[in-house]
Parts: sequence; structure tokens; C-alpha cells
Amino acid sequence: MGLFRQILRVHVSEVGKGLECARVPLDDAVYRDFVGGVGLGAYLLWRYAPAGVDPLAPEAPLIIALAPLLGTPLTTTAKLAVVCKSPLTSRISDGLSSSRFALAAKRLGVDAIVITGAAAELSILHLDEELGRCRLEPCRALAGASPAEVGAALPGCHVAAIGRAGENRVRFASIANDGRHAGRGGAGAVLGAKRIKAITVRGRAQPALADPQAVRERARDLAARSLGAATDKYRRLGTVANVETFDRLRILPARNFQAVSIGRRKAKRLAPEGLKAAAGHVREGCAGCTIGCDHRFGGTRLEYESLFALGPLCAVDEPQRVLAAAAACDRLGLDTISAGGTLAFAMECCERGLLPWPLAFGDDLVPWLERIAARDDLGDRLAEGSRRLAAEVGQGSERFACQVKGLELPGYEPRTMQTTALGLAVAARGADHNRSGAYQADLRPGVDRFAAELEATPLRVIETEDHAALLDSLILCKFLRGAIARPWEESAELLAMTAGLDLDAAALRATCARITGLRHLFNRREGWTIAEDTLPERFFAEPLDGGEVVDRELLRAMVGRYYRERGYTAEGLLDDAALGRLGLRSLAPRLPPAAAADP
Amino acid sequence: MPATVEVELFGLPRLYAGAERYEVPAGTLAEVLAALAEALPGLSPAIICDGRPTELVRVALDGRAMIEAPDHRLHGGEVLVLVSAQAGG
Repeated sequence: MGLFRQILRVHVSEVGKGLECARVPLDDAVYRDFVGGVGLGAYLLWRYAPAGVDPLAPEAPLIIALAPLLGTPLTTTAKLAVVCKSPLTSRISDGLSSSRFALAAKRLGVDAIVITGAAAELSILHLDEELGRCRLEPCRALAGASPAEVGAALPGCHVAAIGRAGENRVRFASIANDGRHAGRGGAGAVLGAKRIKAITVRGRAQPALADPQAVRERARDLAARSLGAATDKYRRLGTVANVETFDRLRILPARNFQAVSIGRRKAKRLAPEGLKAAAGHVREGCAGCTIGCDHRFGGTRLEYESLFALGPLCAVDEPQRVLAAAAACDRLGLDTISAGGTLAFAMECCERGLLPWPLAFGDDLVPWLERIAARDDLGDRLAEGSRRLAAEVGQGSERFACQVKGLELPGYEPRTMQTTALGLAVAARGADHNRSGAYQADLRPGVDRFAAELEATPLRVIETEDHAALLDSLILCKFLRGAIARPWEESAELLAMTAGLDLDAAALRATCARITGLRHLFNRREGWTIAEDTLPERFFAEPLDGGEVVDRELLRAMVGRYYRERGYTAEGLLDDAALGRLGLRSLAPRLPPAAAADP
Repeated sequence: MPATVEVELFGLPRLYAGAERYEVPAGTLAEVLAALAEALPGLSPAIICDGRPTELVRVALDGRAMIEAPDHRLHGGEVLVLVSAQAGG
């Protein structure tokens, strides 16, 4: 569907006193520089977020960034990016999800929606292609409703909604659309702070493709490739198959990262066959996708990350209990990784006698998830995430609060995946497996995942970050990556035939380095220093049963090396030369003086 | 008694092979994988092709280093862990 070269700005104010909606044109250069998805979202966040803004303040923007490939017949492209300043990390946050809502949002005739302001009471924001028909509708009756219930209450609408957690500004609340979640970083709390329970979109706009015939042919070709062996794992097994594999390779985090295995028998129970036996199984697919990787067990969608976080990380090994917890996160609108990570941290605090709560490893998570979403008593403290809870508990608990920049770690053990250790430390979003696919490098032949290399490891991290920036800006599903042999060349072709953007592979590489640079620049503006690019003390000081630790000094040296390889200073600052090389100099005047004068 | 290598299969390799583990005579990696593919024909050609692991699979020696060199010598007693190449989730 290409591009509309304009965005929709929405300022929400009191119900009945008007909703300001305006289309704002964007220059072609913005798309060449930032493409779409997370790239365009980062640009718009930089442009519209006041420096130092409270993420939950009305003036903090919530951005729904669409992408050039969205709405085309190309498989796995029905995706959007939700971008904001995270209330969990105070750094950039971006989450992707696939849905018919994304397809419908594109038909508003814009490439992004930027929402600021706050309603006077809980409301639904209805967006229509005809701006005069956009409106706010009070929805007190939907307070506490699940995203699915909101969708059912709005038949015929394409809906993105928050659950109770978002309404209560839980710092890791998600935004759901068609049952998929933009999960990480707390975008649901940002929407909740605006008192917007749901967004509906309606439009019929359809921009011209630059080369419709080429798109149709490529769509057929890509669909055929998407059904090949390269996607078989996702289609036939689902990512939940990782649990058993990772257990065997000793990279499965268990008991709040105190162990790397739960034992073969337990891992098998949580593997696809075990889940199927326990709850039954159906397979579906995202909107506009030919892969069909959406595996549901007992009606609940389950991915590896949710399984790891709500299972082994919290020492829960009953399939039914894990599925119930995942269903609760869906219903309440919670990021499963941060929910599991925060609970696992609290469990360890209880085990060590640092918290007098009736909570232990292996407990049923559902009542605790309900408390978090309601911010009820102890749930209110958990709703702040593990970093803030650790600061409150004190007594040295910070060393085992497993987060980076405030974002709880995904399901990869840094001590036995040392490229991942660096990737998690430097990622702009915090502990991140989506914008930094460093785990892929760790599992390649020729890479010793138990021993980082000062020179080679940072380069591997940069490569996976830039590759992720490419796929997340187009937006193309990462599960298709194995079917794309020449990602840079093919992506340049896709952008040319859809949006008419003239970028060759080299220019596209530069664009992705620019996107990564801008995300970093945003963090710098919001107070980032290189001291944040590290791991919790546990990973340096507590060897695994095989003796593995992360070498603190080597990690510190690699962080500096990573920034030098990116062309920044060793302190991670973008000097004038680096800004010029990345094509970001025009944005630099918006830097605060200290950053603008970075040596 | 001839030296053998134990092979454990996870993810896609297990799915294609229809087996969780198998024992094959020691030799080079190429010989071991060829013997495995002959014994478990579902592995060929998607997982093992001409005695080499395809891009869909990783081979972890004793669950640690990923190996792929066809002439890598396995003397017997080792465990080869075959896993899906894609790790994301």
C-alpha cells in the first residue's frame, strides 16, 4: 500500500470540548531516513515528545507507527509499532503487533497516529478517515473490561484496547489488538494515563503502489518461501519448542535466573507435546500471514517468552498453571515477560526473607497478576516493576532484580550466551531480544557463546541490531528472516516497488544505523549515561553450576568498543562528526546543551 | 565394541526424524551425520544434506560449541545435540 506521506495528530482533551485532529504532511526525506515502523516511530517520538517529559503526562505522545509494506499483499506485513517513552524505563519503548487493526489503521490514509492529551473520563477514541467524524466516547461501563470484552462491545470495529492494568497505569501494561499485544515497556499505561480505553479506526484510503505488478509477483514468491522449511519451526512447533532445547543447552532462565535448566522431565511437560496433551491445540495465523505460527493451547495463545516468564522463571511447571497465567495477562493487558520477571524477583525476595509476603516459587500466578492489574495492596508495589521494587526493598536485592534500564530480561541466560549479554546491556529499549537479536549470533557455528571477544562480539551485536531495525521498520515479521537470503537487497527492492523509495542496500544499511542512532539519541536526551549499559550484579558475581559468569571488565570494555564501532565516542556520545555521518545533525539542535556539546 | 556417538534431537530435527535420540558409529561429523540421515531418513534433505547440516539446524557438541566442519573428528563418547537454527520467540 506504500505511503501516504502524512500522519494524523490527535490531541485528546475533555469530552465534549473537542478533539483536535489534524493531518500533518511528512517530507519524503523522513521516509528515506527512517522508513516506517520503529524507525518512523523513533523520529516522531523525537519530534513530538518534550524533552524530559513524564511518560504518563498528557503531553507525552503515544505513537502508532505504520509501515510501507502494511496493507500490501506481501505476507507477514500486517503489523504496527507502538512507540512511546516508557513509564517502566524512562527510555524509548517500541512494541510491534500484527492485526487487522493495523490494516484498518492504514486505511485512515496516514502513516502514523500521534496521540497527546488526556480525556476527562475513561473514553473510546474513534478515528475516522473523515476528520470531522473523529470523536471521543465516554465508556465508564467498560472500566475493568478485558481487551476482548471491549472488542465484543464494539462489533464491526477494529479495536486496540487496554485491560485493567493499563487503566491503572501498571508500568508494564500492554495494548492489545485482535488478541495480539504491543507488550514491552508499558505503552498500555501511557494510553491509560490518557484515559483512553480503546481506539477504533475506520477508513477506505488506499495509496497507489509504485509498481503493483512487481508487488503482486513478489507477494506470490514470498508466500511460497514462507511455506518452506525455513519457517517450519514456527508453523509446526511454535516458539514454545524452545523450552526443551534451551533447557538442554543451559540457556533457559529458571528461578529468577538462579538456574539454567529445569530438568528434562519438566521441560518436556512444557514442550509442545506436553502442552497439547494437557490442554489441546489449535493453530491460527496473524492477519495477512501465510506462516500461521499462532499456537493456542486450551484456547490460550502461547509463545516461548510468555512460557519461560510465567513458567520456569517462576518455577511453575504445570502446563495448566502456565496457560492460566498467560490467559490472565491477555485478559488484564500485561506484558508477560515483565510480569513474570517482577514476580520471580519478588519470589526470591520472599525466599530470602526480604519481603514478608505469602509468595513462593511455584505458586499460582493468577491471583498475583490480578493484584498487579488492580494495583491492589501488594499488587501496587509489583505494578512498578522489578527495578523500583528492588529500590524499595533494598538490602542488596538490586543485585538479583533481573532488568536492564528497568526492563525485565527475556528468556536467554547471559552467562551462557555472552553475545546476548552485551546485546542486552546496550539495547536502547532495555533488556531486549526484539531490537537486538544477539541470541542468534550466540548459536552460530564458530561463535563461542561462553566466552565473549572484545573485538568480534560488539560487531555481532551491531549486525543483529541493524538487521532488526530493518525488519522492524519495513515492517516484516522476523519469523520470515530465514526465507530471505539477501535481506538488504531484497528490502531495498520491496521499498522501491511499494513506496517508490529509492534506496540501495548500502543506503538501507546507513538508514538502519541512523534509526539505531536516533533511538540512542532519544535516550541520551532523556538522561541516559553509559553507566546504564550493564547487567544486574547476579550475572557478574554468581557463577552458574558450570562456573559461568559474565566478566564485568570485559563487558565494560565491549560496551565502549560497541560505541566506537558505531562511530560514537567510547562513552556512547554522538559528537558532531557522528551526527553528520548518521544524517542526524539536523535534529541535534533539539539536544540539551550538555549533549549537544558532547566531546 | 565400536566407538559410538550419541545424537539427541530437539525441535525441527526431532520433528523430521521422528526420534528423540539415536546412536551412530564415531567418525567425522560428515560420516556421523550421513549415518544418522540413513538411519532416520526423514532428516534428509531438509536437516541433513550430503552429510552436512543445513541452514535449518545447529549441531552442538556436548551441548556446547556449535560445530559444522565436515572433517571434525568425533572419536566416540561425544553427544551431538541437533537443534533448530531459529531461536527467536
